[in-house]
Amino acid sequence: MKPRIAIFSLTSCEGCSLAILELENELLDLLGAVEIVNFREGMTERSWDIDVGFVDGAVSTPEDEREVTRYRACCKTLVAIGACACLGGVNTLKNRQEMESYRTYVYGERARWFPTTDARPISAVVKVDYELPGCPMNNREFLRLVKCLLAGVPFALPNYAVCVECKKAGNLCLYERGQMCLGPVTRAGCNAICPHYGSKCEACRGLLGAEALAAARLNMREIWKVDEERVLADLRLYGAYQGDGSKP
Amino acid sequence: MLDAIISTRELLGRVDELLRTQRVIGPVRRDVPDATPPVRWFYEPVSSARQLDLGFAYCVYSPKQYLLPPRETLLEFHRTPDGFSARPVSDAQPTALIGVHPCDLHALVTLDRAFSHNGDDEHYQARRRRLLIVGVDCGKPCTPGVYCADMRANVADEGFDVMLQPLGAGADVERFGVRFGSPRGRAWLEAGGGCERPTAADERAADAWQERKEASFGRTLTTAHEDLPAMMARSYDSLIWEATARRCYSCGSCNLVCPTCYCFDVHDELDLSLQEGRRCREWDGCQLQDFALVAGGHNFRSKAAARLRHRLMRKSKWIGERTGGKGCVGCARCDRACTARISTVEIYNQLAEEV
Ligand code: SF4
Ligand code: SF4
Repeated sequence: MKPRIAIFSLTSCEGCSLAILELENELLDLLGAVEIVNFREGMTERSWDIDVGFVDGAVSTPEDEREVTRYRACCKTLVAIGACACLGGVNTLKNRQEMESYRTYVYGERARWFPTTDARPISAVVKVDYELPGCPMNNREFLRLVKCLLAGVPFALPNYAVCVECKKAGNLCLYERGQMCLGPVTRAGCNAICPHYGSKCEACRGLLGAEALAAARLNMREIWKVDEERVLADLRLYGAYQGDGSKP
Repeated sequence: MLDAIISTRELLGRVDELLRTQRVIGPVRRDVPDATPPVRWFYEPVSSARQLDLGFAYCVYSPKQYLLPPRETLLEFHRTPDGFSARPVSDAQPTALIGVHPCDLHALVTLDRAFSHNGDDEHYQARRRRLLIVGVDCGKPCTPGVYCADMRANVADEGFDVMLQPLGAGADVERFGVRFGSPRGRAWLEAGGGCERPTAADERAADAWQERKEASFGRTLTTAHEDLPAMMARSYDSLIWEATARRCYSCGSCNLVCPTCYCFDVHDELDLSLQEGRRCREWDGCQLQDFALVAGGHNFRSKAAARLRHRLMRKSKWIGERTGGKGCVGCARCDRACTARISTVEIYNQLAEEV
């Protein structure tokens, strides 16, 4: 029996779902190995008997909350895909603003028709089995997870910094060009695509851990002497949600 | 003593000749307007000898990637009814590496020894056998912060097929003094008929050049080369490791740019059919958090301080003891790569003051 797969979207651009369709060379093999039973971006039929559900998007409305609870109930394995689903993503920028002001800004007079909440990663609402972070997620990493699930072997995200992939790609470090890249504190898995094309890493795959973050605080203050607010603003682009209710 | 003299024009002609049959890698200059200085060099494949810049200061990455690539496939396998069958994969191709400074020549010797220690590493050695190495001497410290002279790596007597010594000064070197390191190197360079016999004046010029070179290197470390391993042994329990590692990101940049770091990780990749796959190897680094993580979940060096100490012990003591080559050649790529500006020179000198 092929595993039954679903792909869902909450508050997001649905770019991560699209990234699956962009696996043009592997799509046929993928469809040979799994059965897609529910995918708004790719088909009209729907089924709710699901082995593995992939969800992109943040939980940002009461309706998102209801939906993700339903996904959890229908999927044996639930996977968060993309920065929004894993971290809250850019949606969390609103968490630091007044709700009334951003609602009116976006929806004007119809604001009351669109109830909203703070944006959160889906793990803040339901249990998540795997996370594939990134904006968008890396579809090679998606394939790797699918293969691990099919083969029944453990899957783990790279537990090292973007700098590792940046060095393997032979890039000139952006610190040599005066940019405060977030690569040293960010989880790898993107092949350092931003530094490779000359833009600093913006940590869309989330932070590595407390040790690296503590080092960053010291280095920004003592070595690079940059305004802490500026670095925090960069970190907040995808990571303003902190789980403990704090607003970094 | 020089074996020969060759003009720049003849030399480039010999390189172009190589290009007819093999890949040629050498220092290529890239403008980087927002960096200081606004230029960097990288070892890259070239399609004409004119693209080489043999007067380069230093290459950001060492040439090790052409012997130990960041990622490579070791073998391909597929499932059979009674198990699996496997087929080795090698991408080794004839390659000439033109323009390697003494520090990187020493590092290549270390790699050669590491990958023939306890038996040959076939993938490495297959590339090595097909590699022609042409060194080019540097006349002065290539950039501030290097400590190659402290590590006795600013002069190289082995590790090359041909060694070139630029005679004369400035960017427009017209003649090179030549030393041969292998019959293969000699055969290649002499084949064009462009090599000349060195005159007494050439020998004098080469000696004077060498003296100027030696005089231009100061000393950076307060510990003499031969005392470094013992000094490090006494420093094992120093508090400096902890104090310095507070700033370490554990990003591994220092490892990956290091010309003598040779650690790797091996993993299998499967196709979607689960019937075919390949075994791959990738660069690893001892500064990475999970480097010493083993089955069962124990991590032998879970703290950044323990990893930092491990790296410097490897560089100054253990790799030398293990391979007989140099664990560190003083190129200072690690120091330049570190976005926390952790300096190996500072660490060595602080430790020396303490013990
Ligand atoms: S550019 Fe960024 S990711 Fe790349 S090595 Fe430098 S700090 Fe790390
Ligand atoms: S480059 Fe610097 S910050 Fe990164 S692991 Fe090495 S010492 Fe630590």
